[in-house]
Amino acid sequence: MARHIGHLDADCFYVSCERVRHRFLRGQAVGVLSNQGACVIAKSYELKTRGVTTGMPIWDALPLCPEAIFVKRDFRWYEVLSRRIYDAVCRFSPTVEYYSIDEVFFDAQAMTHTEALALQNHVLQAAGVPTSVGVAPSKILAKLASSSEKPFGCVVAVEPEAVARLLRGRPVDKITGVGRRSSRKLERHRIRTCEDFVRADRRLIRRLLTKRGEDLWWELNGTSVLPLHATRTPHKNLSRGGSLGGPTADPDRVTAWVARNAERLVEALDYHDVYCERLLLSLVFKPGGGVLRSASLWPTADFHELYTAGARMLAACWNGQVVAYMHLIAGKLTARRDVQRCLWDKPDPRHQAIRHVKHLINTQVGRFALRSGATLPLGDIYRDTTNSYDICDIYGKTCF
Amino acid sequence: MCFGLALPIDAVPEEWVERYPHRVATREPEATRELRFTFRDPQAELPVWHGHRLELVAWGNRDDRASRLPRTGWCRQESLEAGRWTWLEPEMVEIPAALGLEKGVWFLITEGIRGVLVRDEHARPRVYMLTQPASRYYQIMTRHDRMPVLLGQQI
Repeated sequence: MARHIGHLDADCFYVSCERVRHRFLRGQAVGVLSNQGACVIAKSYELKTRGVTTGMPIWDALPLCPEAIFVKRDFRWYEVLSRRIYDAVCRFSPTVEYYSIDEVFFDAQAMTHTEALALQNHVLQAAGVPTSVGVAPSKILAKLASSSEKPFGCVVAVEPEAVARLLRGRPVDKITGVGRRSSRKLERHRIRTCEDFVRADRRLIRRLLTKRGEDLWWELNGTSVLPLHATRTPHKNLSRGGSLGGPTADPDRVTAWVARNAERLVEALDYHDVYCERLLLSLVFKPGGGVLRSASLWPTADFHELYTAGARMLAACWNGQVVAYMHLIAGKLTARRDVQRCLWDKPDPRHQAIRHVKHLINTQVGRFALRSGATLPLGDIYRDTTNSYDICDIYGKTCF
Repeated sequence: MCFGLALPIDAVPEEWVERYPHRVATREPEATRELRFTFRDPQAELPVWHGHRLELVAWGNRDDRASRLPRTGWCRQESLEAGRWTWLEPEMVEIPAALGLEKGVWFLITEGIRGVLVRDEHARPRVYMLTQPASRYYQIMTRHDRMPVLLGQQI
């Protein structure tokens, strides 16, 4: 029996999620705004047809569509529906890869077009979100198939003729993993469409786009080389951070962001049950430039140690510039079961006790209900509960 | 602040659609029709939950110079708390809304907006929208430094 790969992709996912709970938004031009309320991070098809693109600032989008409705993002809600989609697909397939918040790959076995339509309708019933489905011999082809007839498309391209139809005339940059730079390289060899790509010499593709490109070549030629990952491969690094809720040069605020990011990093380290032995602090300044510092640590997931190391790096590399973005990145991750703790100093029992109490309270009362006093200058950030949940807090995705 | 609001027609009494045809608007061919209320309307009014009923109430005091009521459509929460409205015996009310309008930006409102209802010299009700300093998010989104006090929602 032929085994095929399926790809299910939610149509304008964030907007669709908002439409589930606000029916009034159905059929309207809707834009979901970024963390700061400045940029459109998701748009409905109605807004897209007006020329509004993802990442466009609201003040540029408004003249294009004065009747647009703008919505503040709510990742907690989007995750609820994302999990419903995943569960719905699990009823149809034995192996499902939670690829990203709005996409899953699945083992489609010998799924027919009728069965794919049934899956699509089941997801619509279960989550209320319209999706597009593609079934093909490989992941990259399945993704190409699902995107070929959006929205609410359903394409089963398993026979060679159907695959050929899928590739014909489709620009090469529609292939996942072929970006602008890769397209330019391919263009020099007159490889402009997916069809050109599959007909090109495999060794040429490898020379131009390395092994990753060669994998795409095999996949587009119908040979599945990218496996389904039912569980996520272990992270090499864990990062927490982002915008500082507006550029700032206030030392108290900047230091408080180190504490906030360290607390979030501890949560991630706990979730993945790992210690880190390296901590990196990345700052991006406004109007430009930035610094990156790193520190070596004993294997740890302790807030006090991470915060102290972060604050020390900040003191060493920051001269009062206006900071726009900050990231704390935990590197050299080791599974906790593999760390021989007796080789290192015993953790401070007071810190251990605080950590325990913090975990208990926050689990029962809510995230950040008990937090470090070093975060006090960020009262405005904590008061807005939508700041307490970001896309990186959705665990288990294989994409990033 | 919030210069206007909209409600889908299924959220208002059916007769309003016939009675106020000038308020009915459609954004997209497939979308639900809505009723719009802006401070610039010839007759500025807001829907208000009052005595378990949804009523249309005059929005603030835009141009009645003779009236003793503040000549605006908004009431600052700070001044309400400071007691500067006490002499008008304000009554807290809820203004249902699905969308708000500020500086040309239509934004989603999940429940509604807090308002204060006062009475003029002739005991006619007038509603003022309650406002507070804008959150950073609201400021960036609408470029306004005041925002409405929303019911069960943070923007």
